[in-house]
Amino acid sequence: MTHLTPDELIDAMEGVLAADRQAHLATCEECRRQVEELASVLHDAKRVSVPEPSPLFWPHFSERVRVAIDQDAAAGTNWPAWLRWQVLLPLGAMAMLILGLMMTIPIDNDVRDAGQLTESAPHQAESESWGAVADLVGQLDVETASAAGVIEPGVAELAVLELTAEEQQELTRLLQAELTRAKS
Amino acid sequence: MAHESALNLPWMVATVTSFDSAEGKPWSELDDSALVAEAAAGRREAFDVIVERHRRAVYQVCYRFVHNHEDASDLAQDAFVRAWRGLRNFRGQSALSTWLYRIAVNVCLNRVTAKTPLTEPIESTEHFEDVRIEGAQRAMIREERAVAVRKAIAHLPKKQRATLILRTYHDMSHQQIADVLGSSVGAVKANFFHALANLKKILGSEP
Repeated sequence: MTHLTPDELIDAMEGVLAADRQAHLATCEECRRQVEELASVLHDAKRVSVPEPSPLFWPHFSERVRVAIDQDAAAGTNWPAWLRWQVLLPLGAMAMLILGLMMTIPIDNDVRDAGQLTESAPHQAESESWGAVADLVGQLDVETASAAGVIEPGVAELAVLELTAEEQQELTRLLQAELTRAKS
Repeated sequence: MAHESALNLPWMVATVTSFDSAEGKPWSELDDSALVAEAAAGRREAFDVIVERHRRAVYQVCYRFVHNHEDASDLAQDAFVRAWRGLRNFRGQSALSTWLYRIAVNVCLNRVTAKTPLTEPIESTEHFEDVRIEGAQRAMIREERAVAVRKAIAHLPKKQRATLILRTYHDMSHQQIADVLGSSVGAVKANFFHALANLKKILGSEP
């Protein structure tokens, strides 16, 4: 029969070893020696006590916990408004989108494509581009961003209205290129 | 509450009310689950009683990790602050004490490195009792042995140390320890075995 496993040695030391393994232990000197050594170390460990703090310590400790909780709560509410997750989440999403656009668009091809697009069918490109804007904006949680105060009501619309014709074309080109890339 | 109608003095009403739960009982008479419910609803008095009830055990767990009063009290305080923060997530699937142990052990495991410098208490009541009962020489030998064991425990890997502490000094079952450490009963037994085997090795190698 095989020797006791570590689990079984612990069970044996604690007196809960299964009966069939108990039979092995009764006949195996090596396993008995291991169990005795474990028990001896445990006995030594049990004799190490924790010194009792002064009786005055406990009320003081409770007061410390109260104060620490108050400070923790105060620290939680005193964070700058822009550090809250309701603000950081939409900000982060917008930053990722912009970063993604900047890193993935091959500029040379896009300039040529955009030129062809504006020359051949400017009106079609314009209507498609606004569709693209709607698609991309739809992926963002605008309500969350707006509720968090990141986007003031009407700010996005105002921003688009303030773009020059060239800027609108450039925005269109960027979004169109991104959509084409995504589809391909 | 009955107390309030009987007592018309405003300052007395305020005092009695501050010590009574929504059930009309003094906070200290509520069981742990009722205290948790009250504390989760934001009643600090209920949490004060939780702290009062469990502070010694939590402190002792922390002390076993760091072996000095200052760090142990800091760690225990941190554990209770985290408990307050996480109270709403406590589902009552384990005993409150087990949950508090889990927080305390995690605080200790995060804060304590395997080679924590060991500072010994200068004196303890146990030492003086030993002096009276066994005589100075025997007490000294016993204290030296205790110091050696403490040092050996401090050198154990974290999970082994946590398992040894919870099993040996807090009489927790293997299942409870598994709950605290987020492991299996088999892993707990294996850790306990290796903790004892390593202790034996460390103590055996000392001059």
